[in-house]
Amino acid sequence: MVWYKSWLDTRWRFLIGFVILAVLACGIVVSYNVSASLLPELSKRPVDTSTTAGRLLGEVIRLEQTYRGFVWVQWFRQNLLQTGTLFAVLLGSGSILSSGKSGLFTLSLPASRGEWMTARAATGLGEFFVLATVPSLAIPALSPMIGQHYSIVDLVAHGVCFFIAAAVFYSLAFLLSTIFNDTWRPLAIATGIACVVGLAEGLLGLKGVFHVMSGYDYFASGSFPWAGLLSSAVLSAALLGGAALNVARKDF
Amino acid sequence: MTEFAIETSDLRKTYSDGNEALRGLTLQVPTGSIFGFLGKNGAGKTTTIKVLLGMTHPTSGDVRVLGLPAAQQSASVSIRRRTGFVSEEKDLYDSMTVEEITRFTAGFFPRWRADLEVRYLRAFDLPVARRVKKLSRGMRTKLALLLALCRGADLLVLDEPMSGLDPAVNEEVLQALVRHVADEGATVFFSSHQLADIDQIADHVAVVDRGRTVVAGPLDDIRASYRRLQIVFDRDAPAATLRSPGVIRTKREGRVLTVFASGGAEAIAAEARALNAASVDVMPLTLKEIFLETVNASAEVEN
Repeated sequence: MVWYKSWLDTRWRFLIGFVILAVLACGIVVSYNVSASLLPELSKRPVDTSTTAGRLLGEVIRLEQTYRGFVWVQWFRQNLLQTGTLFAVLLGSGSILSSGKSGLFTLSLPASRGEWMTARAATGLGEFFVLATVPSLAIPALSPMIGQHYSIVDLVAHGVCFFIAAAVFYSLAFLLSTIFNDTWRPLAIATGIACVVGLAEGLLGLKGVFHVMSGYDYFASGSFPWAGLLSSAVLSAALLGGAALNVARKDF
Repeated sequence: MTEFAIETSDLRKTYSDGNEALRGLTLQVPTGSIFGFLGKNGAGKTTTIKVLLGMTHPTSGDVRVLGLPAAQQSASVSIRRRTGFVSEEKDLYDSMTVEEITRFTAGFFPRWRADLEVRYLRAFDLPVARRVKKLSRGMRTKLALLLALCRGADLLVLDEPMSGLDPAVNEEVLQALVRHVADEGATVFFSSHQLADIDQIADHVAVVDRGRTVVAGPLDDIRASYRRLQIVFDRDAPAATLRSPGVIRTKREGRVLTVFASGGAEAIAAEARALNAASVDVMPLTLKEIFLETVNASAEVEN
């Protein structure tokens, strides 16, 4: 029942996220031919690589010369990264135990705070893992329709990198939800932090959590960013542990 | 079975904002009793209930519910498994239907009483397919009560269960509660500031004020011992203080001295006669008067 309640609390966010990501993944495949037809023209134009925008454009043109590069740029570095992070934050927001509406009824049931928190954290993480991996399957499934091939191994590797690193933002929203009683402040704060970190990494060329999420190391060299993945996992565990500690001490 | 379903001793709770909600609350709720827990708004009733159910951590003091230490997390789960609870807000899950929340709640309680569920669904005329958010306040209270009563609980903790109900629903719910206790034999801990409800169904009461118990005991004993003495003098009432034990408050108005006593009315009357009182009348007090006088006396001592 504790798990069932966690599922009830998160199911709509999960299902909406699943549908949006699946549609976006299909769109990646469908849009490839259009993009590929524009590339020769774009490649001929001179790009000023002394500016950040020029550097990024030049990189996109270079990487999208292959289908694998196109999928990585458009899906793993852009659509999944941005939309998936938003849904990580959404799934982490809103504590099952709040002093607000229905919180006392939940607390009056014979389950410990630890059980509620474990079920909620695990349900959200499980749903997020599905969002990080399953909608992407549309890409290898639909690629033959446009005469292309995309490796499922690549997809799983990128999905795992994305899941482990983006779980930091899930865990941050989860922790914030034990501090604030509403859903909106954890959502806004965690999204704001994700935007600031993402912008800082993009503009300053830093190799932080978004770099790990995108799976660039695997894309470029076939090796996993072990240090980044381990740091992300440790940080997520610390944030979730903080949330559990917060709830254990909390007066409702 | 323990002698007391609930026992607290010198229970204190100070919230992080400095609010001292409980300041040495001591209570003994006999097993099998209907215990009325009275107090003004902010007296500490809801905090006490939250401590009993493990929702709030006490700062210090002892608290045992059904013989288990309520401040311990694992014991608290066991206590909740044997306790039915109705909160003042009746904060149920709005998105579920009556049927769904009933099934959901039943899943937590191995001793869930399906026979009572059928009985109360019919008696309360609850629409099983309607969402909780669409229920009227009265219906919501009845549903919350059903969810508490069907748990097969040894203890029912009700926090202002009748607040906001019209008199007809109020009476219906009270009757259901009394019938349930008579049939099932659970202990009821019933917090309210509606004295008429307590007067109607409780056999034991405690009055709490500013986080402390100011009166506690069997209701009949309290009614029997609390008295108002109206002492009339031929001249202005003397300023002398009555020293007999039991005096909780005196009020002087011209020739009349009114004394509220928690016991020893005869000794107080004798003392008044020794002061040359023209007449001394000893009168019983209603529960409302006992509540008001003890709370006012507590406030005077505090100030």
